[in-house]
Amino acid sequence: MTTTTLADLDRARDFALDLSGWGRRFSFYQPRNCAFWGYLALVGIGALVFAATLAQEYDAYGQAIGLAVTSFTIYAALFWWFAQHIDHYAKLPAKLMVVAFLWGGFAATGVMAANANDAILALYSKTFGQVWALNWGAGLAAPFTEEIAKGSGLLLLIALAPRQVRTAFDGFILGAFIGLGFQIIEDISYALTSAGTQFGANQIGASIGTILLRMVSGVAAHILYSAIFCAGVVYLLGRPAEPRKVWRGLLLVAIPMLLHGTWDSLDAVAGGNALMLIGLLIAVIVIALFIVARVYRLTVQRERDFVRDVMAPEQARNVITAAELDAIAGNRKARKAYRKASRPRVERKRARYVLNAAYSLAAELAAARGADTDRVRFARAEVGRIRAGVPPPPR
Amino acid sequence: MSAPASAPRFEPDERWVPADQRLFGVDRRTIGPTLVVFALVFVMSVVLPVINATVPYDDMVKAGDVLELDGNVTFVPEADWGITSGVRAGHLPSGAYPSTATVEQGALKFTVRTGTFHGDANQLLDQIEKTSEALNRGRGVHLTGAPSSIVTDQGKRGATVPVTGPHTTGVIAAFVFGDRGVEAVATGPSDAGSQSTAAVLRMIRSISQPGQDKQ
Repeated sequence: MTTTTLADLDRARDFALDLSGWGRRFSFYQPRNCAFWGYLALVGIGALVFAATLAQEYDAYGQAIGLAVTSFTIYAALFWWFAQHIDHYAKLPAKLMVVAFLWGGFAATGVMAANANDAILALYSKTFGQVWALNWGAGLAAPFTEEIAKGSGLLLLIALAPRQVRTAFDGFILGAFIGLGFQIIEDISYALTSAGTQFGANQIGASIGTILLRMVSGVAAHILYSAIFCAGVVYLLGRPAEPRKVWRGLLLVAIPMLLHGTWDSLDAVAGGNALMLIGLLIAVIVIALFIVARVYRLTVQRERDFVRDVMAPEQARNVITAAELDAIAGNRKARKAYRKASRPRVERKRARYVLNAAYSLAAELAAARGADTDRVRFARAEVGRIRAGVPPPPR
Repeated sequence: MSAPASAPRFEPDERWVPADQRLFGVDRRTIGPTLVVFALVFVMSVVLPVINATVPYDDMVKAGDVLELDGNVTFVPEADWGITSGVRAGHLPSGAYPSTATVEQGALKFTVRTGTFHGDANQLLDQIEKTSEALNRGRGVHLTGAPSSIVTDQGKRGATVPVTGPHTTGVIAAFVFGDRGVEAVATGPSDAGSQSTAAVLRMIRSISQPGQDKQ
């Protein structure tokens, strides 16, 4: 029988922090990195193209642009909050998420996918006829062009942040932000197209339906597809904290393409039957959400293991209890069970605060690379203060 | 009991490139992924559009063809013109007919667009002019001259106005069938002959909405 010493736990913590890249800062400006210049050029061109489009159409569709930009900014903010909410564990730097978002919004759309889509759809029309292209063109073009355009951004992100992007879950989160950027810019473009459908009159009425539809359907669209696709890219490539699993990677790259193609072909499959179309829409959304939940569970486990490794020495030093360690390194059910074990209600509330304080301690430990800095000692003291029910010092 | 170090271990930031990984000063490990992404950009933004540009369209209009648009609006394109967008009547794609159809012959281009509109043909023409001016800002094609009336073969009265642009001339016609507005735009070189003008006028006059009474 082997005995794990505190030194072993500290070593395991250092190893986990090195392997995961958790807490490492990200510096975007890297003039000796080719990916930096490539990213800057492609996102810059895409942003200029988009800004030029908005500027050109502003006088004609100003109302619709205002509505679309405002609505989708709120939508993006809500999603940002949600992504933070589900990412309890080895969090990525926020700056990296912004970089991912901008790639999806400007490079993947205007520089890559839009050009390819136009060309492929035109080729389909010429080869198979207009009707066939209208029915099946989008479903047999966008899944390839758009998923590849979005996913290629992850290659640059890995080259820009090789010590931060270490797991399939990192790919999952960054993919979601790439997808969000893509979705927001695409949605604004769709709203602009709708604004012109009544010859520029009644812009709000013409575009509001599109905006609402895109918001609702967006839940199971680009954000979800890219999250799965980019998790697959990490499995395909392999990372220091994520061994290469080619078949799993290929499967995760293929699934969002299949979902995307199915989504874009629903009209053709339903054949004008409105009831069938609604049924198919719901079915595809449910299947997509089920798959993304499975991929989340598949990828997040490694991150939970990192949290456990980082916080195990804290349990050994009696900063947190074994139950608290299980809760913070566990899933939502584990955290809920931990809170519910406390009675009465005020204790349950305190239990939640203790968990949040423990997550803060984990983040400080990661930022300090496991060292016992002032910030770490303070975060550690905070866990004790909240557990003891001592109010915070006056502000 | 052992204690963790009191200061973090030093780690260089991303800007540090190991001496054995430099190629002309840049991090050689970043060249491959960047080239892969640029290759994808090249394929998507250059190769595919070039392939598309080299493939000619051969969907030519045959005598008797009728194109249909969203809102049950149809028109009869001229024989031997090429259909670059739009669908023949009776070939309903899933959902609905598209709201735009375009036929071309050489430099001549004729586009019909439909959409919801509440008002009459003159108001639609005003709206088209307003939107067009806002989009073009004095550049490109713009409406010139006073509107005049035009009557379709179905007996529907619409409004039409000439358009001009750099080396381009043409006409815009507007009709409103109930709450369905129809815009027809024909453009071509300034020296297009009278035969072309007659062909465009025939297409404009062929615009109809089956079941719609004349007004």
